[in-house]
Amino acid sequence: MVFLTKRGAFRHALLLSSLLILASCNPFSRGRDEKTFRVNIGTEPPSLDWSLATDHVSFNVIANLMVGLTEFDKNLKPAPVIAKSWDILEGGRKVVFHLRDDVTWSDGQKVRAQDFEYSWKRLLNPKTASEYAYILFDIVNAEEFHEGKVTDEGLVGVKAIDDWTLEVRLKHPTSYFLSITTFEVTYPQRQDIIEKLGSKWTEPDHIVTNGPFLLSSWKHENEIQLRANPNFFLGKPAVEQVEMVMINEKTTALGLYEQGQLDFLDNHSIPTLEKPRLAKAPGFRHVPQLRGYYYGFATDRKPFDDTRVRKAFSMAIDRSVFPKILHGGELPATSWIPPGMLAHNPKIGPLYNPPEARRLLREAGYPDGKDFPRVTLAYNTDEEHKIVAEAIQSMWKRNLGVLVRLENQEWKVYLKKLQSDPPHIFRLGWGADYPDPDNFMKLFTALSGNNNTRWKNSRYDHLLELAAREMNEQRRIRLYNEAQRILCEADAPIVPLFTTAETTVLNPRYTGLEYSSMGRLVLRHVRLKESIQSPPPAARGRDKSA
Amino acid sequence: MRMAQRFSARWQGNPLLLGSLAFILIVTLGALLAPLLSPYAPGGFDEKRILENPGWDHWLGTDELGRDLLTRILYGARVSMVVGFGTALIALLIGTIYGSISGYAGGALDNLLMRIVDIFYGLPDLLIFILLSLLLGRNIAGILIALALVTWVRFARITRGQVLQAKELIYVDGAKAIGASHVRIILRHILPNILAPILVTLTFSVPAAILAESTLSFIGLGINDPYSAWGTSWGTLAQDGWRAMRTYPHIIFFPALAIFLTILAFNFLGNGLRDILDPKAR
Amino acid sequence: MARFLVKRIVHGLAVLWVVITLTFILLRITPGGPFDRERRLPPEVMANIEAKYHLDEPWLKQYGRYLRGILEGDLGPSYKYLDRNVSDIIADTFPTSALLGILALSFALIFSLPVGLCAAATRNRWADRGCVFLATLGISLPNFILGAVLIWFFSLKLGWFQAGRWGQLSSVVLPMITLGAASFAYLSYLLRSALLETLSEDFIRTARAKGLREINVLFKHALRNSFIPVLTVLGPLFAALVTGSFVVEYVFAIPGMGRFFITAVADRDYPLIMGVTLVYTTVLVCANLLVDLLYSLVDPRIKTH
Repeated sequence: MVFLTKRGAFRHALLLSSLLILASCNPFSRGRDEKTFRVNIGTEPPSLDWSLATDHVSFNVIANLMVGLTEFDKNLKPAPVIAKSWDILEGGRKVVFHLRDDVTWSDGQKVRAQDFEYSWKRLLNPKTASEYAYILFDIVNAEEFHEGKVTDEGLVGVKAIDDWTLEVRLKHPTSYFLSITTFEVTYPQRQDIIEKLGSKWTEPDHIVTNGPFLLSSWKHENEIQLRANPNFFLGKPAVEQVEMVMINEKTTALGLYEQGQLDFLDNHSIPTLEKPRLAKAPGFRHVPQLRGYYYGFATDRKPFDDTRVRKAFSMAIDRSVFPKILHGGELPATSWIPPGMLAHNPKIGPLYNPPEARRLLREAGYPDGKDFPRVTLAYNTDEEHKIVAEAIQSMWKRNLGVLVRLENQEWKVYLKKLQSDPPHIFRLGWGADYPDPDNFMKLFTALSGNNNTRWKNSRYDHLLELAAREMNEQRRIRLYNEAQRILCEADAPIVPLFTTAETTVLNPRYTGLEYSSMGRLVLRHVRLKESIQSPPPAARGRDKSA
Repeated sequence: MRMAQRFSARWQGNPLLLGSLAFILIVTLGALLAPLLSPYAPGGFDEKRILENPGWDHWLGTDELGRDLLTRILYGARVSMVVGFGTALIALLIGTIYGSISGYAGGALDNLLMRIVDIFYGLPDLLIFILLSLLLGRNIAGILIALALVTWVRFARITRGQVLQAKELIYVDGAKAIGASHVRIILRHILPNILAPILVTLTFSVPAAILAESTLSFIGLGINDPYSAWGTSWGTLAQDGWRAMRTYPHIIFFPALAIFLTILAFNFLGNGLRDILDPKAR
Repeated sequence: MARFLVKRIVHGLAVLWVVITLTFILLRITPGGPFDRERRLPPEVMANIEAKYHLDEPWLKQYGRYLRGILEGDLGPSYKYLDRNVSDIIADTFPTSALLGILALSFALIFSLPVGLCAAATRNRWADRGCVFLATLGISLPNFILGAVLIWFFSLKLGWFQAGRWGQLSSVVLPMITLGAASFAYLSYLLRSALLETLSEDFIRTARAKGLREINVLFKHALRNSFIPVLTVLGPLFAALVTGSFVVEYVFAIPGMGRFFITAVADRDYPLIMGVTLVYTTVLVCANLLVDLLYSLVDPRIKTH
């Protein structure tokens, strides 16, 4: 009888489990909807309010919902969008934008110059507490208004002269100002909507936008749905719908792509070690980014207060290994300004030269690494940072006879440590706010809040000041060349390692997706290929383990 | 004495127990003798041998920097073993003292001390563990303390319960009547009686700590320095492997197996010990 | 009964208060702040942000402000998710975690019952050994390994279930099993021990002697009494499963609350961490209270005093 009971219970269990299996046997229950394009954005966007957003995920959603005065063309030069033209007056101290009169918000109203004025003043308003407020500090009274020293909004140098004319007054001639108007935080906003709804205005029922797609749903921590804006002034996008899903775990996201449930993956979704396999798939691409990866030295601490030691460490790194171990199309770099940017110069910087590195180290008093103090190489916890650190640790051991200690810290602890007590050697990256060498090189000036090396060189600072004011491109390049030689060769407070790249895979049935070197995902030209003959991306059983 | 007899009597009838014990010994020896057992260094970088499958040169294959996986697992055992035993012992020390005091004193003090234990139970383990490990730093000592602070309450509760039982027994009263000191009563009369359940709890705490450390490592907050004597923890190895599961299953399979088998062995050992020492509480 | 309830509620509130206070202190002394970035913010920008969130106030004042907020039902703004406050985020994610947790717990309970019974009641040494072996196996398998194996096999190799894209039946099964497996193993083991003990007691022998059918003995008498140790662990187990597991939510891309125990710490999103901790502790306190009440139902001998 006991036996019977057991069987009964088992039968129930069996029935239940078979039911579950039956009910869920069809993994493609969502259907293969040709009109929906699906991408993984990795995480929940922290904010869809473009005055408050600070991160790539948010900006990548916003950039498909909105357009601004200008956008970058293929050569990273600002090109007209809402602004049909602009005049640069008073020797660069005044910029007047002339707006198109046929751009509409999703509720039918026209996009006017006042919407820009409101948005920019909102960005600067201390009550908004926007992290990117400083991006407009070149405008007259902007910084003062943000600090609360000027309380009258009217004194800030941005003004709608009429519905289609926006006037901006700058503190000083600023060569990169037009580039700033491509940035999402400068997009127009609707005063009436935001003041009526407060922080809830970004919800799908409320949000008012002007771009190629409309926000149709936002399931938090799960997915965002966009639909094509039929009234978009540059033409309705080809794909009807876009699903942006939030799958944090790369392996999981890749699995979904290979099951045909996603159409596009980027670094958020591709595990490092799967890149070589995917590289053989159609639709695979590396997109170099304007983002540098470097190691810095604490130049005020022994033994890295000695230039020879820093140079030796820089020369003992074979940078060609990075793309081989990271598999992401990284571009090894010995100089700091990344390719694709003005004044990029690959000839600057130390070449891989172990004998010379050993000689320098001997000269500094550490022959073959003998008596070298115990030093720490710190990085923030991350799969790729770890691989880079371990490879470099090994190369220094092999080439210099110095064994550095590795230490990884959780990101925020790490940032705190960099400020208060920088480790001997530390890892950091830098991405461009706007694609100008000024943005990259200023990082290491004496007054820069982000110069954790504590290195100072007045000649370097002076060269950068000259370059910022210089309007002639050739002369500017020469100035940056000299500054880069100080930074990467003569003084070497940092070791540039490589320029990062984004690894992307696009379902070969689609074409037209743009991924910019600033990390923006542009979906408005995505469309199905004419001949839908190419195989689906699933291609199961391609893995070696099968 | 009786305990020892019970031990040997039950010992033979339980191959699982013996097997587990042998496995734990092997892992411990492997961890201790790693430099002698393996011709490879736990760190390093060999461009030509990246991600090889298991073979003659590298029994368990190589990882993304061409390092021998078996060697890394052996060194990784050091982290797991030290974390496992270390945590359990620290927690044991704090927990039993705390529990003994609470149970022995009784009354208001007992009440207060147990409320504190309640609070520790009310905290989400993982959160506290992470906050503590951020505070104390990412090293063996930090992880040990953080883990011990989360696990000691278990010992405290068990000890207290046992002490309360033991206290009721007549011989404590007898000892009191003779005029023995409190410390002496606890040490001589109560502790020996509660040794068995504590030993069992200890055995179960080791795998729990190994599990917690490997989970933390899997999340990316573990111990990692391939060249140091500590090596890279198993959880960190498994995390590296998880990301490459589809193409290179060997680099998740072996570390995961090591974690699983070790925890399993300790749990079997715990089961066996419980059967022997405390046959009533199966 | 009423006195018992009041006493337990007061006690629960005290635990909640201490947990809030402890978490608050721990968070403030953990290095790194919510607005520390790779690109350090200019001081005036930082000052405005800190003013907005009252982070420039002394800790005690912030603490007082937070407690007042809780009493008014306001868990504060999130420092990371700027368009939503903590209550919104919890309202969005807690139901998902709760659903998955309840499914996992049901799975554990439903399957542990036959296993525990089979181990204890068949009086077959090998069946017993097998069940203990299975249970130990389940306890020893870290959920990240189990999750990886399940995804690899059922999702990638066989394509039966989906990993990720929460919201369809096929994406529920694997996380449910992953989350419930350890509980299943633990409960089976517990049930087995309890059953073995109960079955050796006098009243069972009496029942058998009276000629009751074995099935009745088992279900009517033994099982009921053996539920007590299971009930004891059910409180904490329920709280842990229902508030979500980071690993499971991460690996299976589930939009639940468990992730915030880790991600909100990484972001130093103080109010969100406090919020999820509050939910966890509240659920735990309530579950334990419920368990205490259930005791008296299962076993009338236990008085709630």
